[in-house]
Amino acid sequence: MLSIKESAGETLSMRAPALETSDIQATVLRPRPKPYCGEYVVLRIGNAEQGREMLRRVLPHIAPADEWWAPSALGWLGIAFTFEGLKALGVPQASLDSFPIEFRQGMAARAAILHDFGANAPANWEYPFGTPDVHVALAIYAKGNQDLQEVLEIARKSHHDLPQIAVVYRMAFGELPEGRNPFGFKDGLHNPHVEGSGPAATTREEPSIKPGEFVMGYPDERGETANVPIPLELRRNGTFVAIRKFYMDVAAFRKYLRAQASSPEEEELLAAKMVGRWRSGAPLVLTPDHDDPSLGGDANRNNNFRYADDKKGLKCPFSAHIRRVNPRDALKDDVVATNLHHFLRRGTNYGSPLPDGVLEDDGAERGGVFLLIGAHLQRQFEFVQSQWVTDGNFISHGTEQDPLIGNNDGEGVFTIPKVPVRRRLQGLPSFVSVRGGEYCFMPGLRALRWIADLKPMMEADDVRSR
Amino acid sequence: MTTQTPTRPESDQAVEKKIARVRELYATGPEVGKTALETLIRELKSGSSRREPATRMSSAGRVGSRQGKVSELLFIVPFAPGGAERLRALLELRNGDFSDTDRVGTVHDMRFVFLDNDTKLLFATAYDGEWDPYIGDFAATIPDGLDVLFSACEGWPGIRNPEVKDWIAKYQIPAVGWYVAHPDLTVRDIQRLKRIGKAAEEFLDKIQ
Ligand code: HEM
Repeated sequence: MLSIKESAGETLSMRAPALETSDIQATVLRPRPKPYCGEYVVLRIGNAEQGREMLRRVLPHIAPADEWWAPSALGWLGIAFTFEGLKALGVPQASLDSFPIEFRQGMAARAAILHDFGANAPANWEYPFGTPDVHVALAIYAKGNQDLQEVLEIARKSHHDLPQIAVVYRMAFGELPEGRNPFGFKDGLHNPHVEGSGPAATTREEPSIKPGEFVMGYPDERGETANVPIPLELRRNGTFVAIRKFYMDVAAFRKYLRAQASSPEEEELLAAKMVGRWRSGAPLVLTPDHDDPSLGGDANRNNNFRYADDKKGLKCPFSAHIRRVNPRDALKDDVVATNLHHFLRRGTNYGSPLPDGVLEDDGAERGGVFLLIGAHLQRQFEFVQSQWVTDGNFISHGTEQDPLIGNNDGEGVFTIPKVPVRRRLQGLPSFVSVRGGEYCFMPGLRALRWIADLKPMMEADDVRSR
Repeated sequence: MTTQTPTRPESDQAVEKKIARVRELYATGPEVGKTALETLIRELKSGSSRREPATRMSSAGRVGSRQGKVSELLFIVPFAPGGAERLRALLELRNGDFSDTDRVGTVHDMRFVFLDNDTKLLFATAYDGEWDPYIGDFAATIPDGLDVLFSACEGWPGIRNPEVKDWIAKYQIPAVGWYVAHPDLTVRDIQRLKRIGKAAEEFLDKIQ
């Protein structure tokens, strides 16, 4: 849906250079198809030349952001590499050394910053997450299962005769009924609008964000253009992805709500207070007392709100998930610059839904895999995770964490502002656990070609000058 | 700023080893120190001064140390030519008014000390959590507040320059010892408790 306000802005001022959408991977800029199904595949590369051969074969199938959903296409492929993966492909040392420190270390090594303790600690992650065996992450999306099998076949053929390329992980994902997540909330509603990427999907009061925040090669919100990794051919139109695989404990969520509330209506209200939206997606700021499914489903209205109208948090608590992770205008009197802390969010759900009304866990794995995409992992994903999700000081809430995705240990609290006295829920467990995660580099299409065409003994000096 | 830290208590064996070492060192010093040390060791051992692990020192950022939620940062840096005079005049103009720092919401104190005949600045502060993740935010929202102070120092790159982190780390000196009365309280926690305390007093006044 075209936003009138933003499109007028685009024509009035000469802004950032147009995005080279034909060179940027579709996964970065485009929402997944609806409905969707797909698979994540992780590869390990035991031999650089075989890795590059695999890359040369899949390259024609990697979708660019300008033609990502051609009616004729069966599906689309996205590809990204860990630091270990780039090494395994023979990327020159000078290039490797030029990557930001957090990417070189990898997500597991950043556990202290990310608050990945206890059940979320990398030691408890699923194999191969957090090990040096994760090299290449492939995301494969399709409209239906038959198409998916054909795209998977393309992926398989890219390495079936290359013995040094091993599939170390496969995970299927698919849409749940009505586009809900396993907890029963509509998801994928909000993303920042990238200046120059085309019209915004929803009407909103938030300003567009400079493309350099999300793709390298363009000015960012600080007026800077990325100068690493080197060379330019490698970084241009590339970006970073924080992958997080979550388990969602739906039974624990339902049981907790049941224990805290005295009616089904109150359960719904508490659930909405934790998220900041009702299950339909309708934001609390716009409808504080009851769900409004027509608002929830209306892209022209469900993101068109600010927290200026709710300065005391009486409608949407300060601690609600969406008010923490995207405070919009809520922190504008503080020294924090919220425009430096955005990322693009591409999520997919996995597992079957726990049937309505069931309070006992059935032992099945279900949850979501999030791709949090941006050019600056440190001040985007890591900042949001460490300052806003797993701490409460920024909203004067002490050590209170995000009620939905915080690393709570059964002693978590959740504060709901209310007149005359606030309500505070006690004894929050973790409703989600981290099953694994990785930091990946998602190059542009020409950069993929650059990697694929690397010569075995390429001199490091060739890249140092650029 | 993130205000949680995990720390591990020390084993008894490690403590005994440290005690033996201090005793050895104090034996070579003045008698008053030796006697005082024995009193202190008795107190430490009786557990009367044992604290929760969270209040012990840990590290903050790349260089400084941290007690619970509070971190310390101290650096000594040469003044730029004319810098001492400029900064002194500025601080005299401010006359203790740092209300712009209130907005940061995480700074407990700041101290500016001129050393060695006005050739060096010692800057010391206690603050909540970490400053590192916020440096870009400071550059965006309060660039002048920092540049006006530290441009008095040699080689200050400017708050907007990404090298500013390295500049600070280069001159920073970590504390070897440091006492914090309330390591579990951030500036914002204190503000909140003051508000609650005031409301409670008003309530008690009304019902007495
Ligand atoms: C299992 C884990 C998670 C669950 C169940 C969850 C759930 C949700 C839901 C229901 C929404 C509202 C609908 C939408 O816009 O999609 C939302 C929005 C959002 N989430 Fe999460 N989320 C999870 C993890 C995360 C993580 C790890 C981050 C980043 C650190 C994150 C960042 C966001 C952002 C930025 C929004 C948009 C906020 C806005 O509407 O202004 N989420 N999430």
